[in-house]
Amino acid sequence: MNRVLTLISFGAVLAFASTASLANGNIANGKTKAATCFACHGVDGNSVDPQYPRLAGQYNLYLQHVLHEYKDGQRDNPIMKGMVATLSDQDIEDISAYFASLPSKLDTLKDHIGGDK
Amino acid sequence: MTRLHMLGLVVATALFAATSVHAEGDKAAGRKLVYTCAGCHGVPGYTNAYPQYPVPKIAGQNEQYIINALHGYQSGDRKHPTMDAQAESLSDAEIQNIAAYLSSLAK
Repeated sequence: MNRVLTLISFGAVLAFASTASLANGNIANGKTKAATCFACHGVDGNSVDPQYPRLAGQYNLYLQHVLHEYKDGQRDNPIMKGMVATLSDQDIEDISAYFASLPSKLDTLKDHIGGDK
Repeated sequence: MTRLHMLGLVVATALFAATSVHAEGDKAAGRKLVYTCAGCHGVPGYTNAYPQYPVPKIAGQNEQYIINALHGYQSGDRKHPTMDAQAESLSDAEIQNIAAYLSSLAK
């Protein structure tokens, strides 16, 4: 019984640790690492050129996911493929944390649907 | 000479018409079209399954980026089972209308 409990607590600790490492990222380091991004995505994460997405305030884990998709080719974009090629997993977490932390012009569609207006 | 002028005028008019049609999406029509999108994109913090990550915020996103993204799902440059199917059902005009509405929502 004791052994089972120990095993379960180990599992819980591992699960917690992996969740935490997914969500974390160092915002200050991210700002430094994101310098290359600013030319297209804006220093404040709001791209001026409408062909590039706003990143400010986007979900942290979504940004991480997308950067990995560019890296592994799941999303096929020549510009972004070049940008992410040299990024480590830690870089991706930091950069995503930085953009996710910025004041946002983005929102969910929650209050923006309906055919009346 | 006059005929050449006429030809030039016709070509210029056609070009202008094509450009203005291309640039303008209908926001009101877009508002109706995004009803479907809200099933996932209208739930704050809603999570995609396998792999798990939050469904992105798209209200206020930039216009041309939205257009490119939906065309990317159509062409296969972007892959996502649900979004592939959604984009497949949209015409170019509908995509422009959706992009016009979403981009107008920037806070």
